[in-house]
Formats: sequence, structure tokens, C-alpha cells
Amino acid sequence: MPMLRVMEQMPHILVVDDDREIRDLLARFLEEKHRMRVTAVRDTREARRAFANGHYHLVVLDLMLPGEGGLDFARWLRSQSDVPIVMLTAMGEETDRIIGLELGADDYVPKPFSPRELLARIRAVLRRAGDAPEHRADAAGRNLRFAGWTLEPTRRRLLNPEGAEVALTGGEYDLLLALLERANRVLTRDMLLDLLRGRQAGPFDRAIDVAVSRLRRKLEDDGRNAQLIKTVRGGGYVLAATVERA
Amino acid sequence: MNLRLWPRSLAARTAVVLLVGLAVVQVAGLTIHALDRLDVQHIAQARDVAVRVVGIYRAVMMSPPAQRQTVLAEVTPGLVAELAPNPPADELPDVLPVRQRLLRVNLNLVSLLGVPRWREIRILGDLERHRVIVALHLPDGPWLNVSVAVEPARPWHSPTFLAAFLLMTAAAAGLTLWAVRRLTAPVRTLAIAAEALGRDVNAPPLPEDGPLEVATAAVAFNTMAARIRRFVEGRTEMLTAIGHDLRTPITRLKLRTEFVEDEEQRAKMLADLEELEAMISATLAFGRDAQTTEAVTSLDLPALLRTVLDEAGDARPDVVEKLAYEGPPHLTVRARPLAMKRALANLVSNAVAYGGGAQVRLLAPVDGMLTIEVEDDGPGIPPAELERVFEPFHRCEPSRSRETGGVGLGLPIARNIFRAHGGDVTLANRPMGGAKAKAAIPA
Repeated sequence: MPMLRVMEQMPHILVVDDDREIRDLLARFLEEKHRMRVTAVRDTREARRAFANGHYHLVVLDLMLPGEGGLDFARWLRSQSDVPIVMLTAMGEETDRIIGLELGADDYVPKPFSPRELLARIRAVLRRAGDAPEHRADAAGRNLRFAGWTLEPTRRRLLNPEGAEVALTGGEYDLLLALLERANRVLTRDMLLDLLRGRQAGPFDRAIDVAVSRLRRKLEDDGRNAQLIKTVRGGGYVLAATVERA
Repeated sequence: MNLRLWPRSLAARTAVVLLVGLAVVQVAGLTIHALDRLDVQHIAQARDVAVRVVGIYRAVMMSPPAQRQTVLAEVTPGLVAELAPNPPADELPDVLPVRQRLLRVNLNLVSLLGVPRWREIRILGDLERHRVIVALHLPDGPWLNVSVAVEPARPWHSPTFLAAFLLMTAAAAGLTLWAVRRLTAPVRTLAIAAEALGRDVNAPPLPEDGPLEVATAAVAFNTMAARIRRFVEGRTEMLTAIGHDLRTPITRLKLRTEFVEDEEQRAKMLADLEELEAMISATLAFGRDAQTTEAVTSLDLPALLRTVLDEAGDARPDVVEKLAYEGPPHLTVRARPLAMKRALANLVSNAVAYGGGAQVRLLAPVDGMLTIEVEDDGPGIPPAELERVFEPFHRCEPSRSRETGGVGLGLPIARNIFRAHGGDVTLANRPMGGAKAKAAIPA
């Protein structure tokens, strides 16, 4: 699996959450089950101290923190470093989420989160962080334009050439983002499988093809004669378009 | 009063009453005026006849008897005067007593200037030919019979009067209609405000001005609206607080399930937690509805419907085969994306929960409204419940809801959202079985 290159280093995760039980359980979950190193702290003061004294691959940050608050800490963190941030947001508080993503957080999981969903997000963000640096910026609020379409990562939405929003499922969004970040490069099924893990129910193999065909339909890309998402013989897909970042 | 002609609107009823009253007053006024004019004309006529008759009488009396016929021949045209041994034939009817008296009085009033008075007067009328015959018995024997042409009385003669009358009537009617509309406008405003309050408790308050009664009603209405708002806000705040507080323990429980060894138990625990989370999510969404701040944007409705169906299929792989979309591949509408997605997802998940599937159909717009139909093949809904399922926290018979979970907020949330978009959603049973949700939004 391509992800293992990153995993070999045993990623060090900083978890910032004010609930002791959640901190402990999350640390156990990530350490025991998924071979990560976790440092868990309860507020932003401790988080600053921990950050100064260690090297982290990723920060899991609860936005609803006593005292300073998660958004301010995210802003500070971004000014200090490029470390990826996954936010834990309150269900339905879209404003916080959008501000967080605009501040440069890489992803978010609404609370109450499913541990596996969080894990999938952490892995996806770590994988992106392991890629070339220009890809990191995409999640940090820059829109992706291709063939008249626009993908807005801060709002997780796709706009068609007329500017109307085209709804995507979580899996379709992840897939499209991955294809756009690696435009004109072939993505093997394995890579895509890895990407969608934790997102889809059912057999993964089929999930990729289903997600691609759904995405093509939404992008008005005829499946038989696809121009945008092309099928590569031998098992892979490629997004054939110039991607502008703005 | 004929009930079919009796209008239902308060403004129209008031206008009808006022206009009928106006008509009665006008007719009465007109009649009085006409009678008055008739009297005046009759008096003038009587005086005129008297003066002319007396003039002839004097001329006859002052002439020697031999020349009397010559004098009569020179009488002004329009009069026929003759000297006869008798008064005119009896078959001519008498003139109305009132007018006869009027004529007699006038004849007696005209000065004779030294000529001796007649012995007797007889007045006959030939109303068919508008003639009056005055017969005077001369003191020296014969009768002087004067036949005078009488103009029929014409109370409507003046054309300006009629024009003025019509103008006045039209002006009064117009003024009445305008005033009635103005006076009943607050009732309409109140009805509209009550309707708006039913849809949205945060509808703007009524202006508390206008006539005293209207202002009082507006104040009372606003007070009531404020009370309802406080009540709803209180309930919403409570629900939101509970929802927020439950997030932490649910997150903990979800983490704990990762350490449960028994795979079956773990899956069941997760399913329970998902259900719990869905309930809280619905509760929070219901609470949030009232203060939605999401902006309206353009969105592709078929893409949204497909996404909702795909996500329903991802959550319930066992019903994927029974989820279908039918309609145009792309169609742009103006809506709040997250709210609209939630509303449609609620309709679909309702169909899946109770009917084991969802056939979604997007119909072409009619009168500017798009229709979205969500059908299932389930047992349908008892007719008495069709409207009640849209009441918050209402649930159908307990056995069903225990099986399928939910807090009874899915449909109320969907309805709130559709109504906030200027549409609505209703449920019906399909003739061939199953239920059909019919949602409408502006195209």
C-alpha cells in the first residue's frame, strides 16, 4: 500500500480535546489499533507547550475548547508550522467549520464522530502531507478550477460551469479531490481504495467503480466516451484536465 | 338575500351594503326632487294659463258683442277660443281636483282691471291631447270656452341635472369602494400575518397603527406572536442544549465500541449509537430551522436527489435496488443547499424506513412550481395520520416507530424547510398501495 511509506515512521499525533475520557480513548484507539503515537492534551495552553517540545505529523483539534478556543489556536498553529490539522466540529455549526478550513485546517469531522471516520480522515490528510507540498495548499482554502467546474474545499462543494452547486456524497468528494490533486496522473485502484476506506460500505472494489460512474454522471461526462475522468486500461483512472488553483 | 349574490369578502359585503344604501338614498332624493319640480311646473303652468285666459276674457268683455268674434279670431296661436251658448260637452273629463283648484285660485288672482267678473267657471281637461279647456260663463249670457295647450310636466328636462346626478353617484360609489377597501385592509393584513406566523414564528410583527380597534388587534396579535416565539425558542434552546450535551458521551461510547471484542455486539452497539445520533441530529436540525442563516444559491436539483439516494443506499445496502430517480438529468433551482438536502433526505429516509425503498420523481414545472414525488411500496399511512405526521414529535402507532426509530421530526423538518423555500410538502396514499410524499418548490 502506498500509504505505508508514511506509516513506517509511525506518525505522531497531537490530540487536543477537553474531555479526558475522549482523549484517553482516542489515544488508545490510535496507538493500540492503528500504530500511531499519540500525545493528548486538554487545552490550548498545554497544546502550545507540547507543540514546542515535540514533533508532530498531525493535530486533531476540538474547536469547542475552554479558554482560548480552537479557532484561535488553529490560527496560531498555522502561523508557526505547516502541520496538518483535523478539526473536531460541533454538528451543524457550518460557520466554525468554514472559518477553520479557511484558516488552513486540512479537514474536519463533526462530533459525535465515528472513530473509523476520524481515522480515515487522519490517514487521508497524512497521505496528502506526504505528497508534494503544492497539494497541501489545496485543502487550505484554495479553489480548484477544471474544465469550467470549480471545487471549493472550504465548503466541500462543487460548482458547475453555470455556478450552480452540484451535490456530492462524501465518497465522491474525496475521489474528485484526489483526482484533481493528481490531475493527469494515473491513480491506481489501490490508491483510490485506500482513499475511500472508511467512507463506503460494501465491497470496496465495486465502490470505486460505482463512485467513478456517479461522479461522471454528475460532471456530465459520458461514461462510454469519458473525457474528464478517463479509465486507464490495467486498472486505474486519470483526470484529464488542466487544474487551476485560485 | 340571494346567498349566491352575497359576496364572501368583508370588503365586498360592506361595499354592497353601502352601495345599496346609497342607491336607496339617491332614488328617494331623486323622487322628492322630481315631485318638487312637478309642483313648480304645475304652478307656473296654472299661472300662465290663468293669465292668458283672463287676457282673452278681458278682450272679449271690453269689446261690444258684435265685434267679439273678430277679437277671438286674433287670439294668439296655441289657443282655441270660442263663444258658445253652452260650456263644452260633458264627456270631457274633469281635470284633477288639485290642479283645478290651483287653476281656479290663479284665475281669481289675476286682476280683471275693471271688467266685471264671470258668473261661473268650469275646467275640463283633455289630458290625452294635453289640453285644458277653461269655460267662463260671461255675465251677459254666452260661455267663453278657451282651450289651452298644456306642455306635459317634464321633471327630468334639465340635461345638466342628469349629468351632475350621475357624476355625484359615481363619485360617491367610488369613494365608498375606496374607503371600504381601506377600512377592511387591516383585517386582510391580520389574516396574512396570522398565516405568516403559522409558517414562521419569526415573521415580522404587525404595524401597531391605524384606527383604535385595528391598533388594539395588532398589539394583541403581536403579544401573542411574541409569546409563541418565546415558547418555541425555549423549547428549541432546551433541545439544542440536550443535543450538545449528548455529543460527548456518544463520542465516548463510539470510541469504547472499538474495544469491544465481540464483533456482533460491536456492530449492534454502533447501530444503536447511530440511531441515537440521528435522533439528536434531527432534534438539533429542528431547533436550528427557526434561525436558519444559510444563503440561497443555485443548485442542481437532480444531482442533489441522486446524492441523497446514493447516500441512502450507502447507509442501507439492502434497499439499493429499490432506490431510483426519474426525471431530467440536470435542472438548476434557487435553494439553500444544506437545508434542501436535509429535507429531501428526510423524505427519502422516511420512505426507506416505512416502505423499504424510494422512487423519486422530478416533474416538469407547473405554474412556476416544481414537484418532487417520493414514493414507496410500504403499507401506506392511515388517512387520519396523513396530516398529523407533520406535527413535531408525532409518531404513528408505537409498534412502527419502535421498529424504525426516529423522534418524529423528519417530516416536520422537511415541511419547515419546503415552506421556508416558498413551497410545501404533503403525504398521500397511492391507489396501488404505499405512500407518496409530494413536495413543491418554486422552479
